[in-house]
Amino acid sequence: MRDFIIRRLIYAIPTLIGISIITFAIARLAPGDPIRLFTFGIRDFTEADYQQLLHRYGLDKPMPLQYIDWITNAVRGNFGESLIYHRESFTMLLERVPNTLVLAGAALLLQLIIGVPLGVVAAFKRGTWVDGAIRVFGVAGHAVPPFWLGLILIIVFAVQLRWLPSLGMLTVGHDQWDILDRLKHLILPAFVLALTGIANYSRILRTETLDVLAQDFVRTAYAKGLRERTVVFTHALRNALIPVVTALGGVLAGLVSGALVIEQVFSWPGVGQFTFQAAIAKDYPIVQAGVMFTSTLLVISYLLRDLTYAVVDPRIKAG
Amino acid sequence: MTKRFRTLIAGFAGVVLVATACTSSGGPSASQSPTASDKPQQGGKIIEGDTSDIATMNPILVNDTRSRRIVQLIYDDLIQADPKTGEAKSRLATFSISQDGLTYSYEINAKANWTDGKPIIAQDWLTGLMTVGKSQLTVRKSSFKDIQGFLDYCVGSSTSGCKGTAKSISGVKIDSANPKKFSVTMSKVTCSAIIDLNGYILPTQVFGKYVTDTSKDEIDTAPENVKPTVFSGPFKFEEWRKGDQVIMSKNADYWQGAPNVDQYIFKVVANATAIANGLKTGELTFSILVQPKDLADLQTVNTLQITKYPSLGYRFIGWNTTSPQAPGLADKRVRQALSYGLDMDSIIKSVVFGEALAHVAHHVPVQWAYPDIQLEPYKFDQAKAKQLLKDAGWNAGSDGFLAKDGKKFTLTISTSSDDQQNITTAQVAAEQYKQLGIDAKAVPEAFQGLVTKLTSGDPVLDATIIGWSLGTEPDPYQIWHSSQIPDRAKGTTGFGFTFFKDPEMDKAIEQARNPANADCSVATRKKNYETFNKILNDQQPYNFGYVPNIIATSQKTLQGFAPASFATVYNVYQWWIKP
Repeated sequence: MRDFIIRRLIYAIPTLIGISIITFAIARLAPGDPIRLFTFGIRDFTEADYQQLLHRYGLDKPMPLQYIDWITNAVRGNFGESLIYHRESFTMLLERVPNTLVLAGAALLLQLIIGVPLGVVAAFKRGTWVDGAIRVFGVAGHAVPPFWLGLILIIVFAVQLRWLPSLGMLTVGHDQWDILDRLKHLILPAFVLALTGIANYSRILRTETLDVLAQDFVRTAYAKGLRERTVVFTHALRNALIPVVTALGGVLAGLVSGALVIEQVFSWPGVGQFTFQAAIAKDYPIVQAGVMFTSTLLVISYLLRDLTYAVVDPRIKAG
Repeated sequence: MTKRFRTLIAGFAGVVLVATACTSSGGPSASQSPTASDKPQQGGKIIEGDTSDIATMNPILVNDTRSRRIVQLIYDDLIQADPKTGEAKSRLATFSISQDGLTYSYEINAKANWTDGKPIIAQDWLTGLMTVGKSQLTVRKSSFKDIQGFLDYCVGSSTSGCKGTAKSISGVKIDSANPKKFSVTMSKVTCSAIIDLNGYILPTQVFGKYVTDTSKDEIDTAPENVKPTVFSGPFKFEEWRKGDQVIMSKNADYWQGAPNVDQYIFKVVANATAIANGLKTGELTFSILVQPKDLADLQTVNTLQITKYPSLGYRFIGWNTTSPQAPGLADKRVRQALSYGLDMDSIIKSVVFGEALAHVAHHVPVQWAYPDIQLEPYKFDQAKAKQLLKDAGWNAGSDGFLAKDGKKFTLTISTSSDDQQNITTAQVAAEQYKQLGIDAKAVPEAFQGLVTKLTSGDPVLDATIIGWSLGTEPDPYQIWHSSQIPDRAKGTTGFGFTFFKDPEMDKAIEQARNPANADCSVATRKKNYETFNKILNDQQPYNFGYVPNIIATSQKTLQGFAPASFATVYNVYQWWIKP
């Protein structure tokens, strides 16, 4: 197990270096000059000012040298000074990570508490209208674009019904520790972010549960006279949940990196929105910090997923 | 599908239908409607909605409108622009200009103090100027280069003119008897100085440490840039929740009188739709970023009030008069034809829902520099457009498109791919130009790349739809003087991407900027700008498009809110919330 972990961590290094090179290259080679962008239209901005800024940000060096400067600082935790904010970019990113973690965590929770029971119910009610409805929901949940659903829910629940707020994490002016207010703001974005996962889990659990229910050991449990509740929750569900439990780490990482659209729709000040706006403004340090952050998160989560598989399912040996 | 399942779906759909059909009053309930009191009430908060976070709170580093808003609220200015006319008026200081136009004298109001109790003095203005001199990130050095001794003091690249040899700025004199009085002497008469010398008043007790003899560019990363501690404006900074909001509380000791409201909050939302929703739900108090597409919907909300006024800018189609693909653009008659041949009124009606005014010169009507003389309005006249093209030698070929000397008239209209208004305008323009016989097409592309192509004078661009946001100072040098035309051979960039130049126009700009007779009066400058605008109106290096309206939308409970083209929060300390 230890060798497996060490091996995987070593493999992760060239992966992350490769990602850093690709991100760096794409960001720099994409059309546009960040200095021209944020100084466009400024009266009395001269060519001398432009050269001054170019030099100050190190953008007048050859590209390979810029990359080497960046990577040697990045491994020490300094991802470079933001061109717009003039502060260290990774520090700025970390300020927004809790916001995205809250959203992703809430979405994951909804996926589990709604998606899993839906799948189990669909399996037990196979062939009935309940099963049909859940399966239709499973398809619709995948087909509906999250940004569209988010806007519709805002119109219905915020603008028309006034039941829930339309934007942000907290009502402006409220105490930061107003948990109820925070929960009200969390409901819509977390549900929209969770929807695809809920649909996924309902389908996966239906399939897994049906598969497990057909196994000999379940038939034996029934034959032994065990109650249905015991058969389902003690024997069948534990096995059906293996793919769900083991994928949790990867799912959370995926939610963190995939929350961008939801953050935009709901004005949620998270990592995704921050990196997206930095990409539009060509603020290279923030873009690079954002991509490296989510890439590292995904690499670690895939490692944890593989490890969890080995722990949870004795049929699988890690490595 | 079973009957029970169909019933379930129908029931759910019915609930959603009823919910969406319920048109709310769009605001608070009747019991919360404003009372008839006219006396300003104390308390409450103002929440302004915007679509982008601020970048900094140090005015010398501000390059965006959001940061500028916050800076305006926490630091007061020497002078202010009249909100309707843009004319420079006293605010923190009274001012006078010497007869020879070289010396500007100021006296700061005796009542004006910082929030730590220290008086605002001339040294604070000088501290602001010195931080500009030391900074390696500011783009403001050029605004002060004509102050005597500034170039000796400032530190910068060799091409900036900064020498960094002096420890002080010789042209700034502080009155030894009265620390609130000072004068600034210029090396030459510069008419924009009245606006530029507004400068940045920063508390010396905080920022003085960044302008010592041994200071370098520490000002650029000073912690006070993101967490200021001492203020002179109507509000004090409290907290910046990154990407979310900036919270400010009232400055009870503000020299013009304490604000009526307790807090001013700058709230960041994702986009214009979120702003419209926030206004409808009451989560936002006001915003000046409402889009024309949302106006009709907001007008039905009875808790909102809407004020419209012309913006300080315009959207235009810039012609590359040296385009190798569209050589016709070099001919004035062709450019005039492209103005006559475009129905700008219908574009304004369909693209911005009527919320704009057709425009035919550089300065916009709200500016004092806008000429009083009659300019050619270029009303839509397809027949005239066709005649002008014919006069210029463009005749229909066998394929129906115009051609000259064997070359078909092709035209690519580029615009930013994330501005739907401009994209639609480009598409409409292409269709209308096709009716003139021009093989025109609209090509949206990323704004980032477009800006680089424009400022570097990339010959691949024929025509570009973009906009200018003009400032209080009407000097058009940066856009229209021939020295600002990019030169690819020399590697210089600039905003003169039409490559249009006219010696008489250059002279008019120079005279209004640095007059030989030191006459910077509005009347004299206006005469020069009359010449300038006449030339542009005749030559049409741009189709000057339209001046969009600002649609300032606020809750009816917000009183005293009177935004105008040149200023929005100039009287924020007088705003109040009706309970």
